[in-house]
Amino acid sequence: MKNLITICALAITSLAACNNDKQTTTAENKVITDSALNSTFGTASAAGDNTAASMKDMVGQYLQIKNALVNDNGEEAATAGNAFVASMGKMEKTTMAPEKVKIWEDLSESAKEMAGHIGMNHGKIDHQREHFDMLSKDMYDMVTAFGTDQTLYVAHCPMFNKNKGADWLSETKEIKNPYYGKEMLTCGKIKEEITQ
Amino acid sequence: MAVLKKIFLGLLIVFVILQFIRPERNINSGISANDLTKTIDVPDNVQAILKNSCYDCHSNNTRYPWYMNIQPMGWIMANHVNAGKKDLNFSEFGNYTLRRQKNKLRGIEESIEKDYMPVYSYTILHADAKLNDAEKKIIVDWASAAQDSLERKN
Repeated sequence: MKNLITICALAITSLAACNNDKQTTTAENKVITDSALNSTFGTASAAGDNTAASMKDMVGQYLQIKNALVNDNGEEAATAGNAFVASMGKMEKTTMAPEKVKIWEDLSESAKEMAGHIGMNHGKIDHQREHFDMLSKDMYDMVTAFGTDQTLYVAHCPMFNKNKGADWLSETKEIKNPYYGKEMLTCGKIKEEITQ
Repeated sequence: MAVLKKIFLGLLIVFVILQFIRPERNINSGISANDLTKTIDVPDNVQAILKNSCYDCHSNNTRYPWYMNIQPMGWIMANHVNAGKKDLNFSEFGNYTLRRQKNKLRGIEESIEKDYMPVYSYTILHADAKLNDAEKKIIVDWASAAQDSLERKN
């Protein structure tokens, strides 16, 4: 009976220890979140209107995703996808005109999700490409609404998505197809130019 | 032998205590006002498949089999449901922007076509949730047509 009590006590303490561990982790997470919030907040208020700078980052990271997919490199696409999500978090809504806030809210959740999935699926390049198609739509709307500091070209691939076709944005006129990589590198054509 | 007995007894006690730590259940009464079926056109045969194979993890209402009362099974299931709802929640479909609704339908089309969904860890416990080729085609065709009709709405 005495043994049983000892075992019981042991079991309960070990369980309690488990719970304690959990609490510590939650507390730590919270601290991280808080400091992350503070730093985002801090930078934003110091920099004022950071739209142009954030857009420059996002365009750069989008093009990195694109070029990684051109090179059939899912790992690099994932890294750039995660960086894209981080840059999105720096976009400061409080300094935007109300109509821009509306545009941003409409596309940001979608873009974040798409870039996030590209970040998560480094081993599934097919899946990354599906998300890249949807991200490209968001990116086009984002660039037309918020501007770009470099000239971008809208290219079209007629075959992707079961011949429904898909667009992508590129920094050059030269066609390098991110949807098929080396399988069909030069398939597609430029259909529009977005000037700065 | 006595040691083994103690270990066994200890484990048993832990197991019993675990039973008292239960995850919150994902059950809500009625059909949400933002449910998929109230947002876009969903034919009955499509609805039946979605309800049977998808809604357990992708809606605000999960049907719980009896063994989900045993921990840690209940926790595993709760994790599944939380992850599933985060990616796609049919009960909140009407709350998504038009852009996301289209994306989600495209995601459904792709996930079913490429057999990403329903996930193996779910079908291993719910054999009846597996989709046959005819059922897959019904879902894929519907998701594709629904995207086109949302496209026209834009």
